[in-house]
Amino acid sequence: MESDEELIRRTLAGGNHHYGVLIQRYADYLFGLGMRLTAGNRELAEDISQQSFLKSYTYLKSFDARKTYKHWLTGIAVNCFKDIRLKEQRYAPLDDTNEASYSPRLEENSDFFNLIQPLDDNEKIMFTLKYVYDYRTQEIADVLGLKTGTVKSKISRALEKLK
Amino acid sequence: MTSIGAIIEQEKAVSYDQRNKQLFSFYTLTLIAQEQASRRLKKRAGISLLLIVSFLLLFLAPISSLIEGFVASLSTLDIIDIFKLGVLNYGLVFIFYKFLKKRSIF
Repeated sequence: MESDEELIRRTLAGGNHHYGVLIQRYADYLFGLGMRLTAGNRELAEDISQQSFLKSYTYLKSFDARKTYKHWLTGIAVNCFKDIRLKEQRYAPLDDTNEASYSPRLEENSDFFNLIQPLDDNEKIMFTLKYVYDYRTQEIADVLGLKTGTVKSKISRALEKLK
Repeated sequence: MTSIGAIIEQEKAVSYDQRNKQLFSFYTLTLIAQEQASRRLKKRAGISLLLIVSFLLLFLAPISSLIEGFVASLSTLDIIDIFKLGVLNYGLVFIFYKFLKKRSIF
């Protein structure tokens, strides 16, 4: 199996089909992350996943080979999630109208989604990466571009909220 | 009430699968190709516009008097000068072509 770095090198050399292998390799991972962050909203999770792959391709030249592709992609996905949330907030007043609106189909297994519901977006991201994906604090800090101390304090604040 | 640890363990065991990964990958690659094509088209349109504007400026601006002077001097040219001009022109075209090719514009 070719490594991520090798596939990136080949993609940059002009072989777009190699990027297809990367997409298939991380499609489930990004979709799962999207599902967890959006509390089981399949459509949003697919959007996040697709936007992340598009952005990742656009900025592939700037990929730092000292990092892992998975972590880099996770950072992009997290930013896509934040962008989507910002857009949602921007258009939120529309929900107040009495017009019929689209309500997304949410997944059944809602224990985890209910658990993280009281957390704000950043706390949700950190909590999910730390406890579901077993990321180390340093890795979360790298992915989110924050200091380790900030991540630690936010995670402990999140745990306090959940108790 | 289920503890936080138990809920997390339960969640870890859940696997979320992207529907039809091959189709998803194909569609994403198509979007990428579409974006690249649109970017290339914009680049080409920009260069073409620049060339048209430069061409028009060259003939409409006061520089035309310089060109007239140059054209007048052509009557005194000998075969060597014509050869030099030819080499110079083809050289410039070649450099310009290589530049555009390198930047994937043409």
